[in-house]
Amino acid sequence: MAVYDINRILPPKAPGEYIDHALDAHYVPAPCQVACPVGTDAPSYIAYIWEQKFNEAFEAITATNPFSSICGRVCDAPCEPACRRADSDGPIQIRNLKRFVMDKLGASWKPESNPVTRDQSIAIVGAGPAGLVAAHDLCVAGFKVDVYEMSDRPGGMMVWGIPAFRLPVGIIDQDIDRLHAKCPGLDIHLNTALGRDVDLATLKQRHDAVLLTIGSWWGKTMGIPGEQDERVVDGVGFLRRVNAGERPRLPHTVVVVGGGDVAMDACRVAKRLPGCEHVIVVYRRGPEEIPARAIELQGAVDEGIEFLYNTQQVAVEVHDQGLKLKCVSTDLGEPDEDGRRRPVPLAGSEHYIQCGMVIAAVGQQGECAELDQLGLMTKDRVQTDWESMRTADPKVFAAGDGAFGGSTIVMAMHHGQRAAYYIKHFLEGRDDPLPYRTPYRTRRVPVAQDLQWELLPEQHPKFHGLGDNPVEFPEIEETYDHEAAMKEAARCYRCDAETGSADYSVKQREHIFSMARTNPMDSAKNNAMLSRLLEIRENPVPENKPASLDDIVFLPANLSRLVIDPYREACKIGTEIGSRLSLSHPFIVTGFDQAPREVRQAVAKALMQADCPYLGKHPLADESRRWWQLIGSADQPSAGAEAVLYPRTDADSMVRLKDDQSVGLYVSSTSELESTIEFGLEHHFDLLLLDGSGDIASPWPELCGAPDFSLLRDAITILRRLGQEEEINLVWFGGLRSGTDAAKILGLGTVAVVQGAAIGMAAGGEIHDQGLAFSSNFNEEDRTTAVVNLIRANSGEASMMARCTGKTALHNIEPEDLRAISLVTSRQTGIPLVGTHARS
Amino acid sequence: MVTIDLGAVPVRDANEQIRKHGKAGENVEIVNPDARHHIGVGLTAPIDVHIRGSAGYFCAGLTDQATFTIDNNVGWGLGDNIYSGTVIVGGNAGAIPAVGIRGANIIIKGNMGSRAGQVMKAGTLLCAGNANFMAGYMLYGGRIIILGDSGERVGEDMTGGEIFVGGRVQDLGSDAELTDMSSQEDESIREFLDRFEIPFNGSFQKIVNAGKKLRYGSPERQMRSLPFFTFSGGSSYWNAKVQEDIHIKSQSGRYRIRGYGTARALPHLSDLAFARDLSRSVGTADVISKVQMYTEIGGINGANPLKLSMPVMVAPMSYGALSRSTKHAIGLASAMSDIAENTGEGGMSDAQRNAAKQLIFQCLGGRLGWNIHDMKRADGLEIYISQGAKPGLGGQLMAKKVTQELADIRGIPAGIDLRSPSRHPDILGADDLVIKIEEFREATGYRLPVSVKLGAGRVRDDIKIAVKDGFDFIELDGMQGSTGAGSSEVIDFVGIPTLAAIIEAEEALAEIGRRQDIQIVLMGGMRDGVDAVKGLCLGADAVAFGTSVIIAGGCIACMQCHVGQCVTGIATQDPAHEKRYQPEVEAQNIHRFFESVRWQIAALTHALGYDDVRKLSRNDLVALTPEAAAITGLPYEPAPRKRSAEALAG
Repeated sequence: MAVYDINRILPPKAPGEYIDHALDAHYVPAPCQVACPVGTDAPSYIAYIWEQKFNEAFEAITATNPFSSICGRVCDAPCEPACRRADSDGPIQIRNLKRFVMDKLGASWKPESNPVTRDQSIAIVGAGPAGLVAAHDLCVAGFKVDVYEMSDRPGGMMVWGIPAFRLPVGIIDQDIDRLHAKCPGLDIHLNTALGRDVDLATLKQRHDAVLLTIGSWWGKTMGIPGEQDERVVDGVGFLRRVNAGERPRLPHTVVVVGGGDVAMDACRVAKRLPGCEHVIVVYRRGPEEIPARAIELQGAVDEGIEFLYNTQQVAVEVHDQGLKLKCVSTDLGEPDEDGRRRPVPLAGSEHYIQCGMVIAAVGQQGECAELDQLGLMTKDRVQTDWESMRTADPKVFAAGDGAFGGSTIVMAMHHGQRAAYYIKHFLEGRDDPLPYRTPYRTRRVPVAQDLQWELLPEQHPKFHGLGDNPVEFPEIEETYDHEAAMKEAARCYRCDAETGSADYSVKQREHIFSMARTNPMDSAKNNAMLSRLLEIRENPVPENKPASLDDIVFLPANLSRLVIDPYREACKIGTEIGSRLSLSHPFIVTGFDQAPREVRQAVAKALMQADCPYLGKHPLADESRRWWQLIGSADQPSAGAEAVLYPRTDADSMVRLKDDQSVGLYVSSTSELESTIEFGLEHHFDLLLLDGSGDIASPWPELCGAPDFSLLRDAITILRRLGQEEEINLVWFGGLRSGTDAAKILGLGTVAVVQGAAIGMAAGGEIHDQGLAFSSNFNEEDRTTAVVNLIRANSGEASMMARCTGKTALHNIEPEDLRAISLVTSRQTGIPLVGTHARS
Repeated sequence: MVTIDLGAVPVRDANEQIRKHGKAGENVEIVNPDARHHIGVGLTAPIDVHIRGSAGYFCAGLTDQATFTIDNNVGWGLGDNIYSGTVIVGGNAGAIPAVGIRGANIIIKGNMGSRAGQVMKAGTLLCAGNANFMAGYMLYGGRIIILGDSGERVGEDMTGGEIFVGGRVQDLGSDAELTDMSSQEDESIREFLDRFEIPFNGSFQKIVNAGKKLRYGSPERQMRSLPFFTFSGGSSYWNAKVQEDIHIKSQSGRYRIRGYGTARALPHLSDLAFARDLSRSVGTADVISKVQMYTEIGGINGANPLKLSMPVMVAPMSYGALSRSTKHAIGLASAMSDIAENTGEGGMSDAQRNAAKQLIFQCLGGRLGWNIHDMKRADGLEIYISQGAKPGLGGQLMAKKVTQELADIRGIPAGIDLRSPSRHPDILGADDLVIKIEEFREATGYRLPVSVKLGAGRVRDDIKIAVKDGFDFIELDGMQGSTGAGSSEVIDFVGIPTLAAIIEAEEALAEIGRRQDIQIVLMGGMRDGVDAVKGLCLGADAVAFGTSVIIAGGCIACMQCHVGQCVTGIATQDPAHEKRYQPEVEAQNIHRFFESVRWQIAALTHALGYDDVRKLSRNDLVALTPEAAAITGLPYEPAPRKRSAEALAG
C-alpha cells in the first residue's frame, strides 16, 4: 500500500457503514495504519498498551482483523517499514506489541456474538484468510455464510504454509474459535472441494452469492531441465507435507531456490528436519532486492542458513547418488515491468552446487478444473475485476491470492473485506456503491507520558532460533515481557495525534509532510494539496466564546520601548495596599476555610514561608500571622486580622479594631458596584476586593467557570469618572490560574490578586463535583512545598511578563501594554483588539 | 607608513584605504581623527594603525590581527568583537570597551566606562585607571585586569572568565564572588604589564562566577505536551492543560519552558480567504513558468540584494537549537530551491556556509559566534532585536545542548543553561542602532544588506524606527513563530499575531509615506504557499518559513525541543541522536516542500489572474471571521466559512 499517494492528501469518502475518522479535524491516520491493508488502529492500541488498558488494546487490534493472534506472530507487518521512527532509531515493533496483547487475552476473550438477521446466505470457497475475513464481515452484517474448504483444516496458507516454529497450532485455534464464537451464522464445511465434492452451479443455487477464495495453492515450476526428478519439490507442497505432521528425513545438503517468504519458511523447515545439515538459498538478485521480510531473513541467517545471492539456477543434473544444481552468476540489469532490476546472467559463470534435494520456492498459482471449464479462470487465477471483486458470473465474486496472485496474509484479508463490502451491496440490490476504501478509525488515546520515550531503543524479544530439539519445531522467539512491551509502546511517535501545537496541528503537519513528498511535476497531487490547503478552518473565536483572560496578550518592548534583560535585570514585585499593608508580592490566597485540617496546616506553613496573606473567615492555623478576615453577615471583626473585608452594610458596624489594621470592602455584583465604591471612598477604606467569581464565601466558586471581568472594567470606569483612581486600591478575586493571568489583571488596574482554586490544586486538590477533593497521596510537606512553589512560580511568571513589556516593576504594567485578540474580550475589558489601535 | 588625513578623507573612504594597505602589509597613520566613529573597522591584516588623537565609537571594532594605537581617548565600543590583535589607548575609553571580543589584548591607560568587557569571550582587557560600573557584565571568558578601582557591581552575571582588581573592589555584581588567585596567574599578569610597560606594584583580588545562576534549580518534569485547543470558555476554564501547568509549576517553583510555537489558535492568515472562489481552479504542471516570482531583497539602499527565485526564505533558526546536520540539510535545500538561509543565533559553520548559496548572518545581544570573518562571507547581516515566539526575552539553550563544540563556536563555557541577553550591549535605543548599522556597513564595505529581526509587538511604532534607522529590510515575526526553548507563557501570551503585525506595519509606513524605504519579510506561522500568498497580498515583499521547514525534514512537533534529546535528531546536540538525522535525505524532502510552496504560489497567483507575484494585493482577500475583519479592515465575508461548516456537517 502506498502510504503517501494522493489518497492521503485527499482521502476519498469512506463508505457510510464504517466508522471512519479520516476527515476529523484533530486526527490523521498514521502511516502505520495506512500501510496496514486492514487499517488497524495501531497508534491507539500501542497507547492503550502503555496505559495498561489491555482489553481496550485487544478491541482495537481485533476490530478489523479476525486473525489477530496469527498476525501477532506472522504478519508481514507493512506497518513497520512505514513507521516514521524507522528513519530515526528503528520502527516501533508493532507486530510484537500485537502479539503481547493477543498472548495475554487471546485464549480467554469472549467476543460478542453476531446473530443471523438476514435471509440471504453466501457460499465461500476456500477457508483461507481472504475467505474467512469475508465470512467474518458478512456474518457481522447478519448474513448466513457457508465456507467450503477442500482440506481438513480451516486457515488456508496460514495453517498449511507457515511452519509451527513461527506459528504454533494453538495460536491458530484461538483465532478460529473466536471467529466461530463471534459468528454463529458461519459454517465451515471441511474436506469439501469445489469440482470434487460440490459444484459451482449447486452453490449458486443454494446461496445468494458465491465468493471464490481458492488461494494460490500450487507451486510453480522453475522451467529448467531436470526438475522432474523426484528430489526436486515445490516449496508450498513441501511446507504442506510438514504442516500435515510429516517429518521426512532429508539429505545432508538441501538447496532452496527463491527469495520470498515461502523460501524462508522452506529453508528454515529443512534445517530442522532430520538428516539435513546444510541449507543453501539460491536467489537470483542481490541482498538489497530480496523480497523476504527482513526479520525472517535474519532469522534464517541466525539459524546458519547459507545465502547465495546473484545466482540463477539453469538445470538440475544427477550426480552420483545426489543432484547438482547448475547455476550462473548474475548481474542486475534494467528494471523489468514490476520495477525490480532484472537479473542478467554473466557469460562463463556456470557452476554447480551439489545437494541431495532442491526445493523450488519460485511462486504459486491457483488451479481449479471446474472454474477453468466454466471459463472463469485466466492462466493461473480467477479472472476478477478489482473495482467490484466480481467474476464474469454476476453472482460470483472472487478475492485473495486465487484472484489476484500470491501476496501476504494481511493483503488477502483486505481482499476479503473488499469482497464482503461489494457482496453486501449486491445482496442489498445497490448496484453502484461508493468505491471501497479501508476505513481509518481512531480511539483518541492520549499520548504515552513516558519520560524515556525519546531514548528507548527497539525492544527485541528473546530469540531461540532452532532450539534444543529442532525437529519438534519449538517456537523461535518469545513474546515480550511486560517491561519490554511498556518500553516499546512508549516509543511511538503518535503520528495520528495532536501534540499541542495550534498552528502545526496534526493535519497541518501532515500537509507539510506530504508537500515534502510530492514530486514538483505531479500536478494532480499538487492540485489535491492546494484544494486541502484552501479548506476553511474553524473560527478560533467561535460566536459563543466568552471573554477570557486567555485572549489578552502583552505588547513586548522592542525598538520604541527599551528592551530590558528579563533573565537578569530585577523586576520589583513588592506591593503596598493602602498605607498599612506591605506585601513582598501581590498574591493573596483564599479558599481553604472548609479544607481538611491537615491541608489547612500545610497551606498555613506554605503561606508563612511565601509571606502570603490568607483571606478567609478564619485564620488557617493558630500561628498564622497574615490573616485577612472575610466578614460574613453574622461575623464579628477580629483584632487578630491584618485586614478585615466587609460586605457593604452600615458604616457603624464596619470598624478598624487597631491602628495598623486595614479595612476593605468586597463586592461581586456590578449593580452594587457604584454605591459600594462611593461608600468606600467616603469612609476611607483601604481596599476594594472585586469578586469576579460571584461568591467568594462559597467553596471554590472559581470552578464554576470563567470570571466576569466587566466588574473590573466598570470599577475602573467609575473611579476614573470620579477622578479617584488612586484613592482606593482594587484587589481581584476570580479565575486566576497563573502568574500570567495575574499580570493581566494587575495591568488592568488592580494592585493585588487573590488566588483560590489554583492554590487548592497545588495543595493536592482534584476537581470533583465543582469542588476540590484533597488527595491522600500528598503528605503535609508535599502540600507545603507545592504551594510555596506555585506562589513563587506565579510571581516569577508575572514579573517575566512585566519584563517582556520592558518594565522593571510588575505594578508598572498598564492597560496600554495589553491587547485583546478577540472582539468579545476587547469589549469586556476595554482593551483594543490587536492591530486596530490607531484605526479605532 | 601611509598617512590618512581624516580632515580630508571621509571615514568610509579611509576604511577602504586602510583595508587596502592592510592587504599590502603597509602600516597606517591617521591624523586629524576628530573622534570620528568606526575608524579601522573590518580590518583583517596584521598592520599597525596609529591614530594621532581621539577616536569615536567602535574604534578598531570587528578587526583581526591588527595593532591599533590611539594617542588620546576613545568613545564607546572600543575594539567591538575584535578577534585578535592589540589595541592601546593612551587616554580614557568610553562605555563597553572590549565588548564581545573573541581574543586580543586591549590596554587602556586611563579610566574606562561602564560595562567594560560585556559578553567578552576571550583575550585580555587591561585598564590602568578605574573602571565604571558593571565591569565584566555577562563576561563569558577571558580576563579583565583593573589596576584602579572596580566600580560598582563588578562581574555582574558573569558566566566565565576572571576579573583581577588592583584597587578597591567596590561591590560585587550578581553571581560574582572573590576567590584566591594562584601565583601563576599573578605572574602572568605581571608579565603582561611588563610587556606593555605599565608599572604596578600593588596586589590583586580575583573575581569569578559564583555558579549560582548557571543552571536552573530543580528540573521541570518532562512531559509530552498535552493538546488542548479550546483554551477558554465555560467548563474548560480549568482544563487539563491548566491543571498540568499548575502541577508542574508547583513542583519546580518556576515558569514552564518548552519549545515550538503557540499552543492555542490565534487569528491568523487562515481566517482570510481569497475574494475570488479558487476552489475549482486547477493548476497545471507548467504554471510556474507563467508567473514571475523572482524577488530581490535588501538592495534598496545600494547593497547587493539577496536574489530569491521566489519571494521565500528560511527563517532564522540557530545551530544550537537545531543540530548541525539539520542546519546542513536546510542549507542544502535552500540552495537547491535558490532561496536564502539564515544562521540564527548560533554562529556560522563551514558546513552551513558551504551548503547554503545565500546565507544571512544573525547578530544577537550575546554576540554568540559573531565575528568579522563570518560577516564577510555572509550574504546579509541581521540585527536581532526580538523574535515572535518570545519577544522581549533572549534565547534559551538548556545545558544539555551546550556541548563543547557548540560552546566553542559561540565562545561560551560548555554545559551552562544559556540564557542569551535580550538587549544588545551597544544598542540602548534607536540612535545607537543607526551607528551600529553603520559599523556593520563600514566593516563589510557597504556590500551587504543589513536587516532587523523584530518580534511583533508595538509594530506601528517599531517599524517607523526601523525605517528611520535605515535598515534595508525588516524580518517581521508574529507571535505564531516558534522557538527551541522559551517560557511557555511568553510563547502563548506575549506579542501580537502575524496577521495583525503585517497590517500595523503597512499602515504605519503608509502613514509616514515611506513604504518604499524598507522591505518586509513576514514570518511567524507560515506553513504553505497559501499562507505565503496571503502574506504577499497583505503587503509583504517576501515570507520566511521556519517550523514548516523542520517539519518537512522530519520534525514530529512533540514540542520537546528544549530537552535536547530530540527523537528525530533535529533539536539536539547529542551525537547519538543527531546520527538519526540523514541530511541528504531530508534536504531533498525540504527542497520538495519549497518546490510545493513555489507551485502553490504560482498556481494561486495565476488563478487570481496575475502573471507576477508583485501584482497581488489586499483586494484579493476577504476576512472570514469578525476578528480578522476588524484586524485587517478587509470586507467580512462569512459565507465561505458557513458553507464549509455545512459541508463538514453534511
